[in-house]
Amino acid sequence: MLLLTPAWAQPEVQADARASSVTVVQVVMGIISYTHWPVEPAELRLCVVGPTDYADALLQGATQASGRPVRARRLGADGGSPGTECDIAYIGSLGEANRRHLVTVLAGHPVLSIIERDDACSVGSMFCLRIQGPQVSFQINLDSVARSGVRVSPKVLQLGQRKGVSP
Amino acid sequence: MTRPAEAERAPRPTLRRVLRRAHLGVTLLAVTLASLTLTVAGFIALRAYANHNLHLIATSMSYTAEAAVVFKDRAAAEEGLALIASPEEIADVSIVDGEGRVFAQWQRPADRSLFDLERHLGKLAFTSPVILPITHDGVEIATIQLRGSAGGLLRFLALGLAVVLVCLGLSAMGALILSHYLQNGIVGPLQGLAKVAHAVRRERAFAQRVPPAAIAELNDLGDDFNALLGELEAWQARLQRENASLAHQASHDSLTGLPNRAVFEARLDEAMQEAAGTDSRVGVLFLDSDRFKETNDRLGHAAGDAVLATVAARLRDGLRPTDLAARLGGDEFAVLLAPLREVADAVRIADDILASLEAPIPLPGGDSVVASLSIGVAVFPDHAEDATTLLHQADAAMYLAKRLQPGGRRLAGTGDTPSEDREIPIASHL
Repeated sequence: MLLLTPAWAQPEVQADARASSVTVVQVVMGIISYTHWPVEPAELRLCVVGPTDYADALLQGATQASGRPVRARRLGADGGSPGTECDIAYIGSLGEANRRHLVTVLAGHPVLSIIERDDACSVGSMFCLRIQGPQVSFQINLDSVARSGVRVSPKVLQLGQRKGVSP
Repeated sequence: MTRPAEAERAPRPTLRRVLRRAHLGVTLLAVTLASLTLTVAGFIALRAYANHNLHLIATSMSYTAEAAVVFKDRAAAEEGLALIASPEEIADVSIVDGEGRVFAQWQRPADRSLFDLERHLGKLAFTSPVILPITHDGVEIATIQLRGSAGGLLRFLALGLAVVLVCLGLSAMGALILSHYLQNGIVGPLQGLAKVAHAVRRERAFAQRVPPAAIAELNDLGDDFNALLGELEAWQARLQRENASLAHQASHDSLTGLPNRAVFEARLDEAMQEAAGTDSRVGVLFLDSDRFKETNDRLGHAAGDAVLATVAARLRDGLRPTDLAARLGGDEFAVLLAPLREVADAVRIADDILASLEAPIPLPGGDSVVASLSIGVAVFPDHAEDATTLLHQADAAMYLAKRLQPGGRRLAGTGDTPSEDREIPIASHL
């Protein structure tokens, strides 16, 4: 599992949600850049599911270095079908039942799943962010990565396999 | 024998030294040149490979560190750099982000004694660090700057130097052994030649010959020298024969084969000196033909010569090997009797000679003639102390005999008139 400490996450920086939100965008965009879909979409659809604390900046959308746009929208806990409408699922604080449901819905679809808050990183999500004040790190659930329909570059997986790294 | 003064001042180097110096020089030059060329070529080739290797390492590092740079994970980046760099010939490596700040770096620990040397050599060998961009999604996100360490090059140079030194040593030994063999092949025959030449010059040992040599030119030289020696030997032998012949001709009468007056006088001196030392006597008989001129005139020169030769032969035959008969000139003969015990012995020998002359001498024309000689006898030391006087005494006695009793003999020191030892003259049958 990987814990990542961004270089700019200095303790003296104002630890507010807005700064964290910007950092979250950068980490998420990094993860996306190392992820490959079976059929590369011309534009990536990012769905924010459930209530989130740091998705404000993310919801404004972004563009990858390659020029591919990433469009974000909020999805209700039971609204739509995330498996077909989303390429990336950013999962907020869902109830246990909702989360299990979402996992079931996403199963079999090429969707990159990132959960905002799951310290154990054990329930079906591929990437688990760990936001501690301005510091944003992530863990990888390799089982979920293997089962998912997307391919994650070994460069990121290698980072995840690194031992003894802590902020 | 004179020798140039400068040769005395500066001793000439021996062939051995010249050979050894030439061999060593050529070998050391060749080995040094070859080694230097190989080392320089090897250094250049190795530098090219090392540069290529640095690029490969930088590529590998950029691949490894890419994700760490994207996620700004300095620890992961530095760990990746260290993992790749530490076993390689890397001096230092750093990742500089897009804003020109050093994001991560690694430097080889400076705990090695050769570190400074390696660093300087590295600067010399790798003029500039390898700079490679780290790209992500086609965008350059950082650059990796890599500086090579010259450890490998240093080891190569050290090994090259060691090999050069070992090769130099081995080659020097080889050259010395080679020059030793060559020297045996060259110096040995030359020394033999010099020895023979020296022996010939000092001892006239013309019979010596130079042994054959293994090297063709030296062998030819030896053969020519031997041929020259052969000619010299033949010359020398001929010269000696001619000298001996000339000496014999100079000291002997050609008609009778008897020694001449000079030989007789020399032998007389020797005999008298010897007799003086041993207290013994030396007798001299002076003989003169009484009617030789008459014979010569009447019967011809050939008859005269036959008479002289026969008289000489009879004189010689009647003497001991230690005695000497000589022809003093014309029809004069002398006999040296040494050693002689008593004066009477000389007188007796004179009588024997007179008796031997009684037989007729056959002449070339078929006639025969009887020679008549008068003999004067003188004995050292009884009649004279020196050779001249002794001869004179014998001569005088002979004249006295010729006047008073031709064909007889007379002892010196017995007065002018015929005395008690006057002998009856032997009758002439002519």
